[in-house]
Amino acid sequence: MSLDKLLRLSTANFSASLALLSLTSAVAIGGILAYWVFRSKEAKTIPIGHGWWGKGKKPLSEDDQIHTFTITTSDEEIKDLHARLDLTRYTDPLEDSHFNFGFNSTYLKRVVSHWRNVYDWKKQVAALNQYPHFKTKIEGLDVHFIRVCPPSRENQKVVPLMLVHGWPGSFYEFYKIIPLLTQNHDGVAFEVICPSIPGYGYSEAPQKKGFDSVAAARIFLTLMERLGFSQFYLHGGDWGSAITTNMAQMKPDCVKGLHLTMFFPRRNFKMSLSLVIGRYLPFLVGFTREDVRRIYPYFQKNVWQMLEETGYMHIQATKPDTAGCAVNNSPVGLAAYILEKFSSWTDMKYRDLSDGGLERMFTLDDLLTNVMIYWTTSSMTSSMRFYKENFGNLINRLDFKTGVFVPTGLAAFPNELMHNPKVWAQTKYRNIYSYTFMPRGGHFPAFEEPQLLADDIVQFVKKVGKI
Amino acid sequence: MYLTLFLTYIFVLVALALGGLLLFIFQRNRKQVLKTEDGWWGPGAPPDAQEDVSIHPFQIKTSAEELQDLYRRIDQTRPVLSLEDSQFNYGFNSQYLQEVVSYWRNDFDWKRQVEKLNQYQHFKTNIEGIDIHFLHVKPKRVPKETEVVPIIMVHGWPGSFYEFYGLIPLLCDPSERDNLVFEVICPSIPGYGFSEAPHKKGFDSVCAARIFHKLMKRLGFQQFYAHGGDWGWLVTTNMAQLEPKIVKGLHVNFAPPSKPGLSMVLSLLLGNRFPKLFGFNGVDIQRLYPCMEKQVVEPIKETGYMHIQATKPDTVGRALNDSPVGLAAYILEKFSTWTCNDFRNLEDGGLTRKFSLDDLLTNVMIYWTSGCITSSMRFYKENFAKGLYQPHSKMPVYVPTGFACFPKELMHTPKLWVKQKYHQLKSYTTMARGGHFAAMEEPQLMAEDIRTFTKMIEEK
Repeated sequence: MSLDKLLRLSTANFSASLALLSLTSAVAIGGILAYWVFRSKEAKTIPIGHGWWGKGKKPLSEDDQIHTFTITTSDEEIKDLHARLDLTRYTDPLEDSHFNFGFNSTYLKRVVSHWRNVYDWKKQVAALNQYPHFKTKIEGLDVHFIRVCPPSRENQKVVPLMLVHGWPGSFYEFYKIIPLLTQNHDGVAFEVICPSIPGYGYSEAPQKKGFDSVAAARIFLTLMERLGFSQFYLHGGDWGSAITTNMAQMKPDCVKGLHLTMFFPRRNFKMSLSLVIGRYLPFLVGFTREDVRRIYPYFQKNVWQMLEETGYMHIQATKPDTAGCAVNNSPVGLAAYILEKFSSWTDMKYRDLSDGGLERMFTLDDLLTNVMIYWTTSSMTSSMRFYKENFGNLINRLDFKTGVFVPTGLAAFPNELMHNPKVWAQTKYRNIYSYTFMPRGGHFPAFEEPQLLADDIVQFVKKVGKI
Repeated sequence: MYLTLFLTYIFVLVALALGGLLLFIFQRNRKQVLKTEDGWWGPGAPPDAQEDVSIHPFQIKTSAEELQDLYRRIDQTRPVLSLEDSQFNYGFNSQYLQEVVSYWRNDFDWKRQVEKLNQYQHFKTNIEGIDIHFLHVKPKRVPKETEVVPIIMVHGWPGSFYEFYGLIPLLCDPSERDNLVFEVICPSIPGYGFSEAPHKKGFDSVCAARIFHKLMKRLGFQQFYAHGGDWGWLVTTNMAQLEPKIVKGLHVNFAPPSKPGLSMVLSLLLGNRFPKLFGFNGVDIQRLYPCMEKQVVEPIKETGYMHIQATKPDTVGRALNDSPVGLAAYILEKFSTWTCNDFRNLEDGGLTRKFSLDDLLTNVMIYWTSGCITSSMRFYKENFAKGLYQPHSKMPVYVPTGFACFPKELMHTPKLWVKQKYHQLKSYTTMARGGHFAAMEEPQLMAEDIRTFTKMIEEK
């Protein structure tokens, strides 16, 4: 081969290589650019929307005043309750069935006896009224809430915090934690606002279809605005978690921090894969030892157990009007329905106890006061409808596909219904400031372990506020 | 020598192969029979004394107190308005429920209905520690050359023996078309209506089947036919599996496949493209597809009750046993939706299109006056708790079977799927009308099909 031929060849090769290199680089850069553009197009907020839930047509103007509200009762109400308690027709439980077939009838008689003869509703109402209650009309509904301000102290920063309950709970779940939050924690004290979800307790129930967690979130944002708060913290569990998450997705600038006890990841392939690998190589997928202890055996804990415990969810998400009818007329039936959850969801092992372990973590008085809130307001049916409104439209829910970018604090209680490790939570909550493995507690931590929960909220807020 | 070795080798292989083949054929032909053991369902331990096998006549009774208690509870109902424009899509519509309750309170005559219930002979007998209630209806008139055929008919949930009251006269009276009259036995499943509820855990459909066999034996029947829908389908199927020689023929109007086999899955995947391959006709295609909607979404929408009853029956039954209106809403919602699921879009749920309020409320009153709602629900937990792969669900049925396919039944089972379980399917009738409570809704059609099927078997 002659030299110039060689040179020509090598030049040609060189050009070809250069061309190839340029092409590849162009594609790579183009790809990276496209990915970056596409990624940043991922929604960081959800639309706020609008709604009106009252009866008939929306009027031209709405009263936006905040009215004080006092819970009242009467002799008639108590007499009616007692008469119904006396009319109960019990069915003997199967021998040796404990709480495995649902609320044990033998133990139920004990609860009812306390309710009928010892429980003092008038005294409980006075206890409920120890904090100031209010109502205000938003989107056609009377929204109930309590507002508790810490006593004025020197060198104290008052931080607004909204607590949102779930089902079958109520604002009453927070009565033990409120005094802990309004204390002075090294210069920080909380001003606590606890609303009732519309359709629950003293908040009016929607008359129109479609009232889901996004609607509730918008209403609560309006409430905070009406109360004069431009920035605040949120805490929630159960439905409260879904609602406060939506609030953070709607107006992230207003939500300084989001603290949750129950949270769900965005399910994806990575999560399923980590489930399989995590059992044997947890460190590889970011599981801690505690995560492994809580998740596995997966099928047993998360599939079979969930199937056993979600019958109520299935019927409420499909036929709430049917499911709610009888429980709204039988206080004993209502109590069995609600208190079964306070048993199983505090600790699944309680299903094997004849008394469901109910009085181990709660007093009958506290449990019955929560039941009475549902009973006296006839709100069980409307509370159940929330399930249908939220699950009915699963495919089109934009908020499920959207992440949460406000500072988030997650408190993982060991007996919560499902355990979600930090790596899974991160698929949805992109800005996790704290993830705490709590030593004890189940699904109703504010009720069961108020000190632990309060401490975690305080440490989270201090972290976010750099206090 | 090598040749000999080689031949021996071949011989052994062939012998093994033949043996294996024979074994395989033998296994297939060996008809499996369901095994069961005796049980005891009364309170405490079974007594040492001999079992009481006497049969006592039984009359349904009511009293002024019973009615007064019912009315008091109805009057203290606290209604909650249904959402605007929701019809029956959120469950039983509250506004229409008030109409039903008003009829119940002011027009429904329970005393008269009790007389109607007592028009047939009722009995009770103690089997395995619990009192079993049943109707025994003998034909009044047996013309010459007419055969009397005994048949046991088993109800389901939330039905009762009362579902068959329209069907019984059509079977017990002679017909022009054939020379058959039936002698009908209608028991109540233990835990339902006037049959005592089991006191121990574990009472499933096989236990009910075994108890009903003992009942028929006690009544002196060596062979009989069986008919059932809903749970009755499963109980009578188990009866056929327990004693295939005694159950002469099995007639069912509900046959959901117990285990999704390969052929079922394949037929679902390819059936609408190659219907002929799976024997699918137009009706099959229309009722099975679109798959996602009809096989997944619809069942999820309608099985909430099943889920909660199969897991927490004592909880959900609690309020229902105190609130008659709540009980009526819970039960009648099924009589609406399971008759035609389009009724969910009607303000009145289409309840009175196929049934009278008197009949519907009589069925509800059976649950109310006997206080059996909780024990009726436990049957779900007992049947599902052991999982889907029970011996009886894996075992085929070898008894001659007739299947009546009603268009609005909850789940459509094409012939291919029915045959997977019922190896001797003698008739598969596509009915013109009717839903899940077919015996009550279309007694004429049902009677015709039972007669045709029975005649076919008798003539063999």
